[in-house]
Amino acid sequence: MSASGTAGLASQGFAAESALARLRRVRELGLVLALLLICLCVTLRAPRFLNGANLEQVALSATLVCIVSLGQALVIIARQIDLSVGAMVAISAFATADWLEHFPKTRIVFALLFGMGVGGALGAGNALLVAVARIPAIVATLATLAIYRGAAIALAGGRQISATVLPGDYQHLAQIHVADAPLLVWIAVLLTLLFGWAARYTRTGRNLYALGSSPESARLAGINEPGHLAFVFILSGLLCGLVGVLWGARFGTVDAVIAPDLHLQSISAVVVGGVSIFGGSGSVYGAALGAVIFAVLQNGVELFGINQFWLEAVIGAAILGTVLLYTVLARRAERAEREQSRSGLGR
Amino acid sequence: MRRLGGLLARWEALLVLFLIAAFAFGAVASPYFLAGSNISIAIAGAMPGAIVALPMTLVIICGEIDISVGSITGLCAAAMAVCLEHGLPIGAAMPVGLAVGTLAGLFNGAMVAYAGLPSLVVTIGTLALYRGIAQIMLEERGVSDFPEWYQSMGFGTIGNTPVPWCLLIFAVLLIGFAVFLHGTYWGRGLFAIGNNREAARFSGIDVRRSILGVFAASGAMCAVAAVVLTAYLASARADTATGLALPVITAVVLGGVDIFGGSGSMGGVLLAIFVLAFVQNALGLAGVKPEEQQIVTGAVLIATLALFGASRFVRARAGVLWRTRLAR
Repeated sequence: MSASGTAGLASQGFAAESALARLRRVRELGLVLALLLICLCVTLRAPRFLNGANLEQVALSATLVCIVSLGQALVIIARQIDLSVGAMVAISAFATADWLEHFPKTRIVFALLFGMGVGGALGAGNALLVAVARIPAIVATLATLAIYRGAAIALAGGRQISATVLPGDYQHLAQIHVADAPLLVWIAVLLTLLFGWAARYTRTGRNLYALGSSPESARLAGINEPGHLAFVFILSGLLCGLVGVLWGARFGTVDAVIAPDLHLQSISAVVVGGVSIFGGSGSVYGAALGAVIFAVLQNGVELFGINQFWLEAVIGAAILGTVLLYTVLARRAERAEREQSRSGLGR
Repeated sequence: MRRLGGLLARWEALLVLFLIAAFAFGAVASPYFLAGSNISIAIAGAMPGAIVALPMTLVIICGEIDISVGSITGLCAAAMAVCLEHGLPIGAAMPVGLAVGTLAGLFNGAMVAYAGLPSLVVTIGTLALYRGIAQIMLEERGVSDFPEWYQSMGFGTIGNTPVPWCLLIFAVLLIGFAVFLHGTYWGRGLFAIGNNREAARFSGIDVRRSILGVFAASGAMCAVAAVVLTAYLASARADTATGLALPVITAVVLGGVDIFGGSGSMGGVLLAIFVLAFVQNALGLAGVKPEEQQIVTGAVLIATLALFGASRFVRARAGVLWRTRLAR
């Protein structure tokens, strides 16, 4: 996780953890506890929740948001943001489905590569704007959100591609089970573990944290800022491309307006998962947990029979609430650390 | 600052050229473009966005951003629709809408100014929250029986001229905002806040109250835009004004306001609003669907930012070469 905050204490020879590091450990544990608590509440009110088939549905609905949230988490850790994720998923989903409709003999592996290629190209567009043209990510991806969505609509021309015209093994992708769990869930879990490990133990991963923590210092330390920013946006595009291909397999129909709120869902999963919106701290595992929490919440809303329209308001309130909570906690931790260091110097 | 001022004057001249080009493009795209009725529809359609662009200029000059404007507008429309459903006359529903919008803006402002959260994430959160509340209130329903005088506010014109009533509303608001921004202490304080917030604070400018005020103004203007938009569409639904943020921000940025804050002018934004209005109208006449028109809006936003970014890059390099002190 973030390297900031512990350096000063090292110089004072403190063996104890800094207040900020303690906060971060609490954050992940707190998420798991929150998830268990929510599951408990939902089960108490609707015991159907623990039904095997229902749990499988929850896991599946978390999968696609989770994979996108992995990319979004790295983007936000680098102090950027990617609003165009939904549109990128839509274009790659439609393009892949269109391709498979015209070339049904294509092997699934190549279909996956094709979708990821489309997503990567779109992500490269974002990368160009943010890393090369130095346009702030918020407006750059706001613009590409519109451009890509408009392009998807123009491309589709109102068409819908349903699974019936697509090759059989494509649809089976969503139904394959490995050791009782759906293949899609395994993909999401493996990707989460992969990115979680890579973020912490590879140089590129740690550089992203450094960039998010303090771009100036990172630049002075020799980290290639445009290179890393381009990398993270292209990665987000690749993951969206993957999700686009899986979308058709999972949902059966693909059109130009799928995933309209994916940017909100992924950002809220990432933020609830403890990644600071200021960048530089948080973990990919947290983002995955956030996606699961929201999937459980959505399932709870369905099981309770509450109006589906409450969901968007809940997402908004969750984003605001968690950012407020984490900011207050972080400020308190910073104040505690400052007081610790002051008293440590014997003033 | 003077160097930036010089650049802005040249940019506004460029915008006038763009406006002429937009007219030319429109005339070529369709024979109906220059008809009085089309001009008035083109202007009337752009007025809701234009009204919201006025406070958005202030917000961006402060160095903040407000992406939730579409959701606030939708929330106000939903609030007014619920009032109408409960039998309240439209004259009573409008102040309710105004109150709802101002409160929504105040909430945004309080989170940004007093809780110290970045405006980006606050407005992303309220984007979802306010739209969600609108959906809870109104669900799938829509209200569409508005009185005649109300609908004429949306697309009705003054007498036989092609001037729509909503243009008059916009003109009054424009004068108010322009005078505030360029002529008053508080308005010019916003430029200081956008340039260097800490220095502005130490100069005695009440930064928190200014920021609270601009977000509240944004919410209030969203309410006015909701009135004009529902009048224009003759319908109020929970999904009214989805995606309003993009064309509004594009208009402000195209108008020469620096996305990082600290500079810009209302005149430029005014010109940009009309350039975009006529380009979109022309595209519509040429057969481009509204969902596809957003490609053009997004492209304009990117092109403008890339252009400003490039000029900033060039000036920075030139400044290093000539050892001149820079404005930024």
